[in-house]
Amino acid sequence: MEHVVELKNVTKNFKGFSVENMDLQVKKGFVTGFIGANGAGKSTTIKMIMNLLKPDAGEVKVFGLDFKTHEKEIKERIGFVYDSNVFYEGMNLKDIKRVVGPAYKQWDDHLFYQYVEQFELPLNKSLKKFSKGMQMKASLAVALSHRAELIIMDEPTAGLDPIFRRELLDLLQEIMIDRNRTIFFSTHITTDLERVADYIAFINKGELLFNQSMLDVADNYALVKGSVELLDRDTEKSLLHVHRASTGFEALTDNIQAVKSMFGDSVVIERASMEDIMYYMKGGMQHV
Amino acid sequence: MFNLIRRDVILQKWQLIIFIPCVAFFIMMGSHPALTFLVAAIFIPFNAFFYDEKAETNILLNSLPYTRKTIIASRYIGAIVYMGLGIGVTCLALLIANTSYTLTDIAIASGLFFVFASFTFPLFYILKPGYISTVVMLSFLVLAGIGPRTVLYLIDKLPVITDFINSLSMSVIYTGSTLIVMFLYVISWVFTTIVYQRKAF
Repeated sequence: MEHVVELKNVTKNFKGFSVENMDLQVKKGFVTGFIGANGAGKSTTIKMIMNLLKPDAGEVKVFGLDFKTHEKEIKERIGFVYDSNVFYEGMNLKDIKRVVGPAYKQWDDHLFYQYVEQFELPLNKSLKKFSKGMQMKASLAVALSHRAELIIMDEPTAGLDPIFRRELLDLLQEIMIDRNRTIFFSTHITTDLERVADYIAFINKGELLFNQSMLDVADNYALVKGSVELLDRDTEKSLLHVHRASTGFEALTDNIQAVKSMFGDSVVIERASMEDIMYYMKGGMQHV
Repeated sequence: MFNLIRRDVILQKWQLIIFIPCVAFFIMMGSHPALTFLVAAIFIPFNAFFYDEKAETNILLNSLPYTRKTIIASRYIGAIVYMGLGIGVTCLALLIANTSYTLTDIAIASGLFFVFASFTFPLFYILKPGYISTVVMLSFLVLAGIGPRTVLYLIDKLPVITDFINSLSMSVIYTGSTLIVMFLYVISWVFTTIVYQRKAF
């Protein structure tokens, strides 16, 4: 399967935080959700994919090309939506089109106006008067108007009300009718993924814990619930993270078969939601 | 590149309305034509920098299909273009106001503009956003305030320099200062490009 984005052994160090040896592939024609808690390294990774930040070590390739030699070609094919408005605040959409449009060879004015109409965006109102949701839609309209093959979005749903969030996610699904398109979006809201993502990349404290299809995630992970007496050094080996309480234990496993053969019917095995996985993998329970 | 330069007109269309009254004010106040030319030259390029000071603008520009080299080049080339336009408009305004000026006034103003730009443009990429405009405005005012006096003082105290300059022909002085000013501008351009390429957004 073709990869649109490829990070190999990428390391970026900051004071008190680092992304280390990250290997990440984003598959062409699918929606990949990039999930992790606040401060896990999502924005840093996205900035490295956009060449806004340069990695200290490792290689970043987009469309199989290197930024050092093909920066313009790569960016021609990327549409971006950031968590805050990066367009000039005082400008209206018409002026933004005048500034941004000519930067792209593939820019299509007709398409832009079509999206503006579809997203019900005002053309002559300054962007600072737009709501967060409208700003996101405006960014998306710009991204789509130059026929971007890869759309990168950093927390597009953060701060949106539930209705607007759902509307935006529906839009993403609509966009994906064109199977040549790839969407890579970060979020810390797990329900977003369940709605639109085909693949999930999970990052925690600068480390990529997994990058799997939604189906694989559903098949591979499960919640195990049972009585604390069942736990010992051997049985715990099949569990990733365990939370003990007076009423029993609850744990996450990535080896359902091992759990079944180890515990048999003495435990309850349930489907783990993305939120469960994120919570346990982050080690959240240990702090409770 | 052209698109990046053209962007300033779209961005500053409202400020440009202030441009003409601003130049007219200087003419009416009877300012030295060289000073009027200098203010006109500085107006658009520096306004453009104040716009680009924000981190978001740099994120936007760097997400568009431009290289960092092109972004800086557009700033330095754009400054020359807009300086030229500013001076052109001022020439017309002076003609209309029936105020005389010489080519020397234009030469002095553009020379000073290049020197001032050479030192301040890199600051926009070194200093923290938010402080730069203030620093640049203050330094312009301070230079405008003490600059001429310092030069007069130096002329008075260091006759060696004045004697040396007097001994040169006008063409040598013009060519020499043009070369020095252009050299400064190019060095500043190269320096800013290096700084900008290393920047993280």
